[in-house]
Amino acid sequence: MNQLESIAEKLGIATPWVEKDDVHWLEPGTVSVRTLAQAMNAVEARFITITAYQLPGDEGFRLEYHWDLNGQLLGFPFLLAGNSIESIYDLCEAADWIEREVHEGFAVDFIGREYEPLQLRAGDTPGFNLREEAK
Amino acid sequence: MSYKIPMGPYHPGLEEPYKLDLICEGETVKDAKLKIGFNLRGIEHLAETRNYIQLTALMERVCGICSNIHTLTLCQAMEKLTGLTPPPRALYIRVVMAELERLHSHVLWAGIAAKLMGFKTMFMTCFELREKVMDVLAAISGNRVNYSMNRIGGVNRDIEDPLALLSLIDALEKEMARTVIPIFTTSTTARKRCAGIGVLTREKALSCGTVGPTARASGLAQDLRRAAPYAAYAEMDFDVPVQPDGDVRARLLVRALEIMESCKILRQALTKMPPGEIDTGDDKKIVFTAGTATSRVEAPRGEVMYSVSWKENSKNPSRVHVRTPTFANMPAIRWMVIGARLADTPLIQASIDPCYSCTDR
Repeated sequence: MNQLESIAEKLGIATPWVEKDDVHWLEPGTVSVRTLAQAMNAVEARFITITAYQLPGDEGFRLEYHWDLNGQLLGFPFLLAGNSIESIYDLCEAADWIEREVHEGFAVDFIGREYEPLQLRAGDTPGFNLREEAK
Repeated sequence: MSYKIPMGPYHPGLEEPYKLDLICEGETVKDAKLKIGFNLRGIEHLAETRNYIQLTALMERVCGICSNIHTLTLCQAMEKLTGLTPPPRALYIRVVMAELERLHSHVLWAGIAAKLMGFKTMFMTCFELREKVMDVLAAISGNRVNYSMNRIGGVNRDIEDPLALLSLIDALEKEMARTVIPIFTTSTTARKRCAGIGVLTREKALSCGTVGPTARASGLAQDLRRAAPYAAYAEMDFDVPVQPDGDVRARLLVRALEIMESCKILRQALTKMPPGEIDTGDDKKIVFTAGTATSRVEAPRGEVMYSVSWKENSKNPSRVHVRTPTFANMPAIRWMVIGARLADTPLIQASIDPCYSCTDR
């Protein structure tokens, strides 16, 4: 069993990893993002970023979490029916700024944390920059 | 009693617009808060209003120092969405441009670091050397800053006589080996101002997600040119300098040694450059498939990552997300300055080679 399969097994995810365009994707299913962050910490994976996409209509958001494991780019897509997901900032301090940036750009709420302004200035509103309805 | 000293967003010690709020007791820094966003340009939003040609020109402006790296990363992502594979000669030219850009970035940083150390003669020496690298970049591309070399499916300009550039690389390497590296590694000024200052442990470097020379100076050995090769890097022989100490001196040494490795890579790329076309010639029939593609490149400051998303039959991308190396490295400054002397903080923050143009993209 290779390291990626071992990670999926520890997370209890039965669906296989899918490699596409140099990214190893794993659908997290019911696994929470915090459990995932703990698993990534356990294998010393390096957190890279969260990429947020607003889905059409009222479908919510898709957040793609990326880690690097020995040069392999790992991707975990999370679908948000509403606009909130648990914060991993206390488990993975590298996620601090990008959680704040996604919050400011898309008005996504990361539950369990407070925000200090990152790129917003007085009078700005979260979601002013990248949300469809704000364009 | 503790007191707060604000540095920035406009301050002689920080030459780009960001702010460090330093909590001090006496001359010792007890904590720090960092603030960015003073020049946010909204480039990710603008990208959604551009076609792929305009997008390449726009993303070249994300960074003033490593403009080429941003178009390289973008083009690699767009090539995944279009199925285009650049010809081998184009991949070699991309390596040459990327390494020349790394050289000028590292030499620029060495000059600024020398100035912050109070070593102004060295600043002048470094900037004179940087001019020579800029001359090579201008000779290839016609430009000193925004080179416009990358295009989807290849590059815009050929290097007609690659071997003619070897003498310039030799001269540059000789000068680096004769002056810059010995002075930075052995001079009392450099040692006293840098050794044991601004330490970032391996554990903190990993938990902060640091990249590039900042991470490698804290013992994390990753370099995407080796770990996940792109362009023609798989065909290049080079070492990845790593230092364990995590201080300013370690970051200085990593970059100094990387300059020599860049010269080694440049010599190989120029000597072995294969003949042939420099692009796929498919300009008129580029079709984007709907979906998302991700690309990573080792910029002078570390990993750059682009996620590019396209909708069916759309001229413009629906999303372009840029994760720059300074965005990853900058939060680590807090841990570097805690316990440091106030007077060392300008040099410590400069030791990650920060780029706020990238960060405020």
